[in-house]
Amino acid sequence: MGVTPARRGPIDLQLGAGAGRQGLGVGSQVAPAPMRFVLNWGRRYSLWVFNFGLACCAIEFIATSMARHDFIRLGVIPFAPGPRQADLMVVSGTVTDKMAPAVKRLYEQMPEPKYVISFGSCSNCGGPYWDSYCVTKGVDQIIPVDVYVPGCPPRPEALLHGILRLQEKIGQESLADRYRAPARHIRSITAESVQAPLVPPPGARDVS
Amino acid sequence: MSPEELGGFVCGRIDGAISEVTFGQVTIDVPPERWLEAATLVRDDEAVAGGFFDWLSAYDGGAGPDSDAGLAVVLHVWSHRHRHHLRLRTHVPRDGGRLPTLTGLWPGANWHERETFEMFGVVFDGHPNLVPLLLPDGFEGHPLRKEFVLASRVAKPWPGAKEPGESDHDTRAASPGRRRMLPPGVPDPAEWGPEAGT
Repeated sequence: MGVTPARRGPIDLQLGAGAGRQGLGVGSQVAPAPMRFVLNWGRRYSLWVFNFGLACCAIEFIATSMARHDFIRLGVIPFAPGPRQADLMVVSGTVTDKMAPAVKRLYEQMPEPKYVISFGSCSNCGGPYWDSYCVTKGVDQIIPVDVYVPGCPPRPEALLHGILRLQEKIGQESLADRYRAPARHIRSITAESVQAPLVPPPGARDVS
Repeated sequence: MSPEELGGFVCGRIDGAISEVTFGQVTIDVPPERWLEAATLVRDDEAVAGGFFDWLSAYDGGAGPDSDAGLAVVLHVWSHRHRHHLRLRTHVPRDGGRLPTLTGLWPGANWHERETFEMFGVVFDGHPNLVPLLLPDGFEGHPLRKEFVLASRVAKPWPGAKEPGESDHDTRAASPGRRRMLPPGVPDPAEWGPEAGT
């Protein structure tokens, strides 16, 4: 189970002019640890999931959401109405080059803070379709991934374990660090990327 | 009608057609210039009545050093009335293969012909909207042809272990005399790509 390590660093109290713009303010950075624990605790047990089911791994995801494995007891709420209401995206299945723009667009429509679990070999690295002409070699080429769940397909228990690892990661993170980090390219969201036009239907290509 | 009788019936009405029965199913090879005529016959003739368009695609027969089998376009039809199945097949050259469209007979052939067009490069004359269907925008080449090179492995090796000695958990040494496995369609990086000849 690979977990992208959380960004750790010395707490930087030289808060520049941009610190207030993040909406969290100075307070969350210098908040006492119990407050941060409570904030993270609230976030980690209320994960609305946007399921990007693209192939057979989605069946395992659905099985995990059903009564036997039941990840709702972990606070993971499946089938969010849409990406704008979701906190967690589970990419389960084969991402093709044709599908990749839609994955990126819907990821950018999710509100912060947002997390991604890559579920299964195909979305981890392309899986058995390594030689294919049309399969993206891992969804982490287009969006940042927090937890990778290996398997082809992984069993529901593996997804449960991946969710637990993600919750551990959320419990340890500092949102101020997350938003200040310039390396996460998610911060470069523009209005154009969120409102990218849909693929035109056949026959309408000449019009657009 | 038995498959043999069905093949003989169609061959008697289409010039140059050859029928063949394999695994209880009849395949009728027709010349490309008779493609539309043969499809019209199997759809409209009372004895064949193959009105149900089942499937249309192509396959690459492969090219040897001195021969080229070209591309074969295959049409499957089914007769609800007589409950028999029939395959029509024609061969077109690899470069510049053209066929008349069957969308006038079956509108459902539209997407099948678009897919055949983008995957094999066969042009269907008279098709109402012959643009790529499945491939990403700007894709070059026809990926289901045999000469299409699957180049992912040249840029980056497959991360898995498939030979003895490749895995981190495998302490046995790789046998030098063992022939390395190569997936079909994937060139050897030593023979194709930036490291060719090294």
